[in-house]
Amino acid sequence: MHLPDGFIDAKTALATGVLAAAGVGLALRQVRIELPPRRVPLLGLAAAFLFAAQLVNFPVIGGTSGHLVGGALVAALLGPAAAIVVVTTVLVVQCFLFADGGVTALGANIFNMGIVTTLSGYAVYLAVARVLPGLRGRVAALAFAGWCSTMLAAAACAGQLAWSAAVPWRVGFSAMAGVHAFIGLGEGAVSALILLAIARTRPDLLQDSPDRAAPPVGRFVGLGLLAGLGLALFVAPFACPWPDGLESVADHLGFARPAAAPFLPALAADYRWPGLASPGVALAVAGAAGVISVFVLAIAFSRLLVPKPTRPAGREPERPAPAPS
Amino acid sequence: MRRAIDVRDLRYAYPDGTVALHDVTLQVEPGECVGLLGPNGSGKSTLIRHLNGILPERLTEVGGGVAVMGETITRDNIGQIRRQLGLMFQDADDQLFCATVREDVAFGPQQLGLTPGEVADRVQRALEEVGLVELGHRPPHHLSTGEKRRACLAGVLACEPSILVLDEPTSGLDPRGRRELIALLRQVRATKLIATHDLELVVELCPRSVVLDAGRVVADGPTHQILDDEALMLAHGLERPHILQHRHPH
Amino acid sequence: MTELIPTVYPVDRPVYRWPAGLKLAGALVMIVGTALAPFAWRAWFVGVAAVLVLLVVAGRLPFRSLLLRLLALSPFVAGVALSAALNPRGSADWRVLALRSGLCLATVLVLAQTTPFSAMLAMLRRVGIPALLVTTLALMHRYLFVLGDESERMRRARASRTFSGDRRLVWWTAATVVGQLFVRAFERAERVYDAMCARGWR
Repeated sequence: MHLPDGFIDAKTALATGVLAAAGVGLALRQVRIELPPRRVPLLGLAAAFLFAAQLVNFPVIGGTSGHLVGGALVAALLGPAAAIVVVTTVLVVQCFLFADGGVTALGANIFNMGIVTTLSGYAVYLAVARVLPGLRGRVAALAFAGWCSTMLAAAACAGQLAWSAAVPWRVGFSAMAGVHAFIGLGEGAVSALILLAIARTRPDLLQDSPDRAAPPVGRFVGLGLLAGLGLALFVAPFACPWPDGLESVADHLGFARPAAAPFLPALAADYRWPGLASPGVALAVAGAAGVISVFVLAIAFSRLLVPKPTRPAGREPERPAPAPS
Repeated sequence: MRRAIDVRDLRYAYPDGTVALHDVTLQVEPGECVGLLGPNGSGKSTLIRHLNGILPERLTEVGGGVAVMGETITRDNIGQIRRQLGLMFQDADDQLFCATVREDVAFGPQQLGLTPGEVADRVQRALEEVGLVELGHRPPHHLSTGEKRRACLAGVLACEPSILVLDEPTSGLDPRGRRELIALLRQVRATKLIATHDLELVVELCPRSVVLDAGRVVADGPTHQILDDEALMLAHGLERPHILQHRHPH
Repeated sequence: MTELIPTVYPVDRPVYRWPAGLKLAGALVMIVGTALAPFAWRAWFVGVAAVLVLLVVAGRLPFRSLLLRLLALSPFVAGVALSAALNPRGSADWRVLALRSGLCLATVLVLAQTTPFSAMLAMLRRVGIPALLVTTLALMHRYLFVLGDESERMRRARASRTFSGDRRLVWWTAATVVGQLFVRAFERAERVYDAMCARGWR
């Protein structure tokens, strides 16, 4: 999903750059407030971990294999603000050291993978884990969050490509959403497996479990609004029944700004009409069905993996000697 | 007289309840070089981490006192203590956290608030002392294990501590790297406390040794006397070094 | 992939000795220009290509490995170019897309090949990037190799005791390796913090 240079035009690069800088700035401020000094080196180590983890292959079919993207996983492990800093760090290093992801597209990549996946992943994880208790609930929550965050990032990516007139929305979105619906399944499964592996060896690292902690909603209003604004900006103009194409986007932006609040509700209201006459509604229904089936899959997956909810710590903890001599 | 290190009745339990130290008492005089022996898990690293206040996690709740150069460690004087007592950790990769060797050696002096010129002077001197001037620009990842250890030592020496505490300085080194490090340590003029399994190093450098087992001091005295006590050594999972066996043929 | 990071710099060539700030700024100009310039400016693209070739030849950069990395990084470019080629209506010309991203890729590769990461970090510090972010970048770069090695050792140790080709088991094994890697990263972060404190940090 790393956008390279040359696919993003000047205005998209600028818009994503501003959003990414603002998001990372907010996240850094949040981290400075809530992270104890003891945990500061963990940000760098977690970034190195994520990079190394992305090199571990998960075989799929034939010779192909996938790997972790990790936004939702890191957010579940470290919290959303720290996760934004960690994923951003990984993206910057990948961009300048490996030329993986373009320099002018760095803002877009940070927005999609650093901000959208972490925030949406964390929000979904938190919401589901509060409803479904215990380790089983958390595994299901992260599996679902991994899928959702991947889909949202793919949508944002397609929106940016369409904004840049590189690939039209219809083509880009169906390709990205189609591919990432499967990639997201892998992402969710891998994230959940890793969470389970950590819970088996060091359950204490997952101590601040989301079903007990108070929802830290207040602290992430700014970041959440920012991600929402970005998504609305990139995706909404195309998801509306308005005509495709860039020329209309500029017009819409002028109209969309004063009407920002009813923008999404209006969209939802439109999709909620019972008739499946327009293709947009059919798409929405198909999308909702997809989301629900993935949710059910995630729960089934967690039941398969985590034996009994009575002992959430997991069986046979293979934890070695607890302390250095 | 002010003792370099003065540990009295130190008790410590890890947060999970495992008791790591039972009433440990240990005194080191200025200028001494003391070996700290004991099997794995005997509490050596835990004890060492108390000497510059990394442990206990909450300093005010210490169950026994640790004093360095006559000052009991508290939350307020911890910076002062860490200037005087340099600590070298077992895993060199933990300690070399900067991008290049030179930057890493400069880290300590920079924290002392020295001017850039003074920092550069100290870095140069420390690198010369350990013989790594040519490798200063290298990233730590591209050093051999022996070079990494020496770089760590340079980082500690650049802070010019009066007491040097080393955790397993020779573990994982090949014979030559080990030789070089021992020769280096011999030159360093500071009070030294060396936790190690390397009994030959202790014989060469430390006139006095302390044996720790299961969080208790089980022996404290002249190194030769301790290493000759076969029953003591066996009881605490240590082995008499070959040098001694050759020196005292029965 | 960690073995692809250039870390030893043959400082006897002038390209390596140029100030990092200059190289970074030059690369940024080239990349932004190439990515955003209208395609009618043919001279710009030819110029950038010429500069890159000159740098590779004059700096005696490892041409083969640069080319291999360029190809290895291109699947996304190929994918989007393909989709643009198959749907010409409304899409940008795929050849232009490929040219732009190819030139930018090559520029970043040449920059990374000739500039130590520590020098780039020093630049970032000077231009006012928040210290927390620079520290995180520095620590990540430092421990990338260490964790990469650990991961490889764990993978090999696991593989040498795994005899079944069951895909579910392979996934669980890989996830265990990654989980273990996180635990080790966490524990190492604590020890690094101790080491930083021991030398007077904060």
